[in-house]
Amino acid sequence: MFKTVKALAKGLGTTLRALTEPRDTIAYPEKRREYAPRFRGKHMLARDEDGHELCVGCGLCEAVCPANAIRVVAAEAEPGKNISWTDRYSVDYEVDLIRCIFCGMCEEACPTNAVRLTPFNELAAYSRLDMIADKEELLHPPVRK
Amino acid sequence: MIRLTIDGQTVTVPEGTMIVDAAEKLGIEVPIYCYHQALGPLGACRMCLVQVEKMPKLVTGCTTPVAEGMVVHTKGPAVEKGRRGILEFLLINHPLDCPVCDKGGECHLQDYTFRYGPPAGRFAEAKLERLKDAPVSELILIDQERCVLCQRCVRFLGEYVGEPQLMLKGRGVETVVAPVDDRPVDSRFSGNIIDLCPVGALTSAAYRFKARPWNQERHPSVCPHCPVGCPVTVTAREEHVVRVEGRPIPEHDWGWLCDRGRFGYDFAVAPSRLLSARVAGRVVPEVAAVRHLANLVRTVREQHGAAAIGVVVGGQHSAEDAFYLRHFAESVLGEGVRLAVSQTVKGYLPLALNGTYDDIGVADAVVLLGSDPYRAAPVLYLKLRERWRRDPQLVRWGVGVRPLSRPTLPLRELRVGPQEMAATVAWGLFSQRPDDEGLRLLTESLEGWQPRDPEGARALAATLLDSQHLVLLWDGKEPWMEAVLGVLTRLRGEKGTRVLPTFGPPNLRGFEWAGIPARWGALEDLLQATVRGEVRLLWVLGADLLREIPDYALAAQALERVEHAVFEGLFPPEGSERFELWLPGAGWSEEPGTWANLEGRLRSVAEAVPPPGEARPVKSLLTALARALRQPWTPPEWNPYLGAEGGLLPREGEPTAPARLPRPEPTAGDLYVWGEPEVFVGGYPSENLRPRRPSLLGEIHPVDAAAWGIGEDGGELGIERFGRRWTVTVRPSAAAAPGMLILPLGAAEAPVNQIGEGPASVIPRVEVERR
Repeated sequence: MFKTVKALAKGLGTTLRALTEPRDTIAYPEKRREYAPRFRGKHMLARDEDGHELCVGCGLCEAVCPANAIRVVAAEAEPGKNISWTDRYSVDYEVDLIRCIFCGMCEEACPTNAVRLTPFNELAAYSRLDMIADKEELLHPPVRK
Repeated sequence: MIRLTIDGQTVTVPEGTMIVDAAEKLGIEVPIYCYHQALGPLGACRMCLVQVEKMPKLVTGCTTPVAEGMVVHTKGPAVEKGRRGILEFLLINHPLDCPVCDKGGECHLQDYTFRYGPPAGRFAEAKLERLKDAPVSELILIDQERCVLCQRCVRFLGEYVGEPQLMLKGRGVETVVAPVDDRPVDSRFSGNIIDLCPVGALTSAAYRFKARPWNQERHPSVCPHCPVGCPVTVTAREEHVVRVEGRPIPEHDWGWLCDRGRFGYDFAVAPSRLLSARVAGRVVPEVAAVRHLANLVRTVREQHGAAAIGVVVGGQHSAEDAFYLRHFAESVLGEGVRLAVSQTVKGYLPLALNGTYDDIGVADAVVLLGSDPYRAAPVLYLKLRERWRRDPQLVRWGVGVRPLSRPTLPLRELRVGPQEMAATVAWGLFSQRPDDEGLRLLTESLEGWQPRDPEGARALAATLLDSQHLVLLWDGKEPWMEAVLGVLTRLRGEKGTRVLPTFGPPNLRGFEWAGIPARWGALEDLLQATVRGEVRLLWVLGADLLREIPDYALAAQALERVEHAVFEGLFPPEGSERFELWLPGAGWSEEPGTWANLEGRLRSVAEAVPPPGEARPVKSLLTALARALRQPWTPPEWNPYLGAEGGLLPREGEPTAPARLPRPEPTAGDLYVWGEPEVFVGGYPSENLRPRRPSLLGEIHPVDAAAWGIGEDGGELGIERFGRRWTVTVRPSAAAAPGMLILPLGAAEAPVNQIGEGPASVIPRVEVERR
């Protein structure tokens, strides 16, 4: 009998003690963790001050990608209607976020500093297709709350 | 032979070899821009600096011939410093636009800078700005900022092709490569300067921004557009062919291409491409089409036997396709199925007489028998010109109804009348060897006839008989020429006599190797049997009968008469309404296979892209058809290279025995209609090459042009032949002979096979205008 009560008290004591201890978990999504300033999350494609895309579709990110997650198709802009800062631009720019290992080598290879990894890391989706980020999506990066 | 030491290794090379070539033999890489073996040394770029012992300064390896006992160093501090300096100079004005440059990733300037260049340049000044992405023609763009002035393009067009259309303009730092007189670079070999350019200065407009070296696949293949069968590399990206480049084969081929082969790959995506099966013009599922064909086969076979089925193969089919077809015809369709190859001329050359391109390299006499290789087989023309440049003593003859000579390859001309070539050659040979029985038999019917130029014919015969190594190019127009060539070969005995046939569907030899009868006679028999009603089901694979074959009337009659006509191929054929069933076929680069060129040399064509739409390869079509017929058939294993030593088909077959030549008839009429192959007109549609297609197709002599009221800019000419009237666009041209109207084969606007070769009367201009 005494033995049982002692064991119970010990167990409850542990529980009660833990209640007062600082927590290791956070109340996601109401609260969010602070990340390192260079955290590598979802990609984005940047523009320059004039609103022109920086990406010229050179495909170096595609070449360097160890996971084969990037597909770039370049094209020539119509005269006088440049989409990027030069006449070459990317018509298609797709990142397969399931394949991506977020190594950041695309960012490193990019000669125009167009592709950047944002801190955004909430990548869940209901279908695999939704996990392929197209150019439109990458040009409008989501902001992390 | 000379012995020298390069980087401590000893090598023995022939006298006159340049240091870079000797180094290459040892596998030592010396960086070069301007030097190309076909173009010879120049020493413009200074990239190939090497150190030679006992020479005070670095020397250029591409202009220094080897010498006995020479000791060369291609490495070491002095050489490295030299290269670093040269690259720093080359990069002074070179823009940093590699990310947008089509050459990026396969650029020699990038590679060498990475390997040998300085870590950074010391020039702080602004780079010079020059013309960027400017078209030098519809097909090629120039970027003068990127140019390193190696002059490969200038020299290739100016010296190698002999059509100087690019030049160096300006002096010193202002030197640029520019078109001569600001005229577009429209040489038919212009595309090669893209391959030659070591940097991104000359790029292809069609390939612009299409792919990068790392996201494309390159497949070794063969060009499908003419019988020359140049080796090419097909570049594909994401299931589309985006580029075709030349593929050099050491010791055999420089990898030159004509623009037809380089830019004409876009036929595969032409809007007129057949992408789904049709029965009586209605789109049906592929399965239903195959079932329909099986029903046709079954009905015809039950009622009339297998001999009532005729199969004609042509177009972009491989030797394997033809082999499957023959095997299928024999084992599934039944005994007696008639097979034939579609033809563009009536002539045939037995493989025993067939030469190779290597023969050109040793020839001391070249005779063009009606062939104009510049138009019909452009790269063959380059090979002839290269031979002449190497050996100016080369004896060159052009025998034809019109001048075949060009400033870039002058020939001694022998003018013959239409259908008089065999007679003229035989007459000349007989005058030299009157005691020969074969020649007597050939010329029996020519009693009292004289060629237009008897002196010339005798001189030609002397060349034909006396030259040591003779190469003939034959256009295949007069089938009886075969017997003359046979007699000539016999008369020449041990001396080399080689003929290159510049005609036929590009893979004619491949079809022949697969066992399909390749003579015109086989096709003629088949079509005549169809006209007689013996063939009830005519299955045409790949061939465009009404556009290709010389006897239009026969083909038209056959298609009119036949009960069921079935077509398989890439594009709806001429007279497509006569075919009740159309099956979309896979073409070049869409299935692996083997092609044989006019040398009779086998080369493999790679599968670079999947067939579009419902198009499928012959093998798969036949398998499905066998299943629909409920007859078992497995595609047989066949290796076309077995029995072909070194890829060359065995030189077999006897030329036809000498028989009386038809006596040339004097021609009446205003103009004689004459068809000749021209790679930019006939063949598959190409959007890229639209600007290169001549807008005025026909050619007439300037004197005739003046007589018929055609101005210098050309115009329309009305002609009448066999009671039918035609309007063709013509231009005055010195390439036409008086009294001749030269038309390119295969043009829909001026179907020369339909008009019919022969004398035609001109409808006076006033009447044409009133009509």
